[in-house]
Amino acid sequence: MTRYPASVRARVLLRSFLIQGSWNYETLIGPGFAFTLLPALRYLHKQRGESGVPQAGGPDGATGETLEQAVARHVELFNSHPYFATVAVGAVAKMEADGTPPAIIERFKLALRGSLGSLGDRLVWSAWRPMTAIIGVVLFLAGAPWWAAVASFLIVYNSLHFAVRYLGLRMGARSGLDLGGVLREAPIQPVAERASQIACALIGLAVVLAVSVTENNPGRLAMAVVAVALGLALGSRTRKILTGLLWAAVAFALLLGLLGYGA
Amino acid sequence: MIHFNTHVLLVLALVGGLVAVDGTSFGQFMISRPFVAATLGGWVAGMPQQGAILGVALECFHLGVLPVGASKQPESGPAAVAAGAFFAGAEPTASILILTILGTLLLEHLGGWTVHLERLINVWIIAPNGALPTVANLERRHLTAIGLDFLRGAVLVMIGSLLLSLVVPVLDPYWGLSESLTNWMVVTFIIAMLAGSLRMLGSKYWFAALGAGIGLVGLWMTR
Repeated sequence: MTRYPASVRARVLLRSFLIQGSWNYETLIGPGFAFTLLPALRYLHKQRGESGVPQAGGPDGATGETLEQAVARHVELFNSHPYFATVAVGAVAKMEADGTPPAIIERFKLALRGSLGSLGDRLVWSAWRPMTAIIGVVLFLAGAPWWAAVASFLIVYNSLHFAVRYLGLRMGARSGLDLGGVLREAPIQPVAERASQIACALIGLAVVLAVSVTENNPGRLAMAVVAVALGLALGSRTRKILTGLLWAAVAFALLLGLLGYGA
Repeated sequence: MIHFNTHVLLVLALVGGLVAVDGTSFGQFMISRPFVAATLGGWVAGMPQQGAILGVALECFHLGVLPVGASKQPESGPAAVAAGAFFAGAEPTASILILTILGTLLLEHLGGWTVHLERLINVWIIAPNGALPTVANLERRHLTAIGLDFLRGAVLVMIGSLLLSLVVPVLDPYWGLSESLTNWMVVTFIIAMLAGSLRMLGSKYWFAALGAGIGLVGLWMTR
């Protein structure tokens, strides 16, 4: 958004933190997208005059459209990973400033929807977040104070979070319609791959630390091996099946207590 | 029953609202992750370390939950705040821990259901009678939805803390397993959950083995 003043860029960036605020099943984050883009649209239309006629010193390439019509286009259905949505916001703000025809902007947003969601899911939800969460868990299990473990998780996690929001907005604003090529060159896959590798290593470390906090008993190694084998065998079904097992175990323990076999 | 005074309940509600909006509406800074949220709950109740112990267990249960698209998911934040606050004020036994974990998993599903309901309500907030927002009302409608999310989290945390403090102390005296065996049970579940999340991370077993090896060497050197 090099054509926009810094105050407008800052407002767009800050509003991007609220982009999912009105998430709903009909337009998903469409209204949030318009909410985030609104300072840029207001600036453009103020420069052009509500009639859409370009004014001296303002951005060129006006479309002749009113602010109301521009907002109406952007509240429609849109979806993306929340952090990567700034990439789309930046690119659309540039296209609006360049006077790109609304139909092309619509098609552009449609094309971005799936890919930005998929990029964010792969990098953030499936790799970076587990890695940073396990950093916190490992630190705590290793004896670090609670605040150090929590702060480590939040600081490491949000370093990427803030970088994606800020750099994404800048990347989108510089690329506009050429965003596809720029996104392909971004090192998203290598970062996700490395984060997954580190997360796996940390899980191995966390398992050893978790076993070490139990009583020193010859059976604990066997117990750990069985638990690891169970987790590996269940994979993505682990939570569902273990929750069922937890119910059964708790019911059994309570039944024993009711029958008078209390600990 | 653990007694929460009005002041603590109000602060918990505030924290619950914040972690609820962090989940989707505002920021996603991850204060809504169980490890952080349970520690926050424990901190409000005066025992953050206790909250963090519960948080680690809940975090392992939540590692494999991915918020993909419009899928319905259990909501970790408010449930973990309520559970962290409860566990911080309770006797720190393994049986209370395991009963609290189970209660939290139930509260997470209740939270997930309220998220689903709120997303349906948001359709009406954003476009009442199908009228999409305009420049004049876009910001108001959007911020109203965020306010509703905050309220939802605050109410969930209050209900959750009260439910846990009513139910868990009633069940705990009937716990029929020894403290040591129950401790094992908790750790077994945690280890299985950790191992289960390896597949989500691309089944890089050699890296997991490397991490375990480093852990064993570290333990050997410190003993």
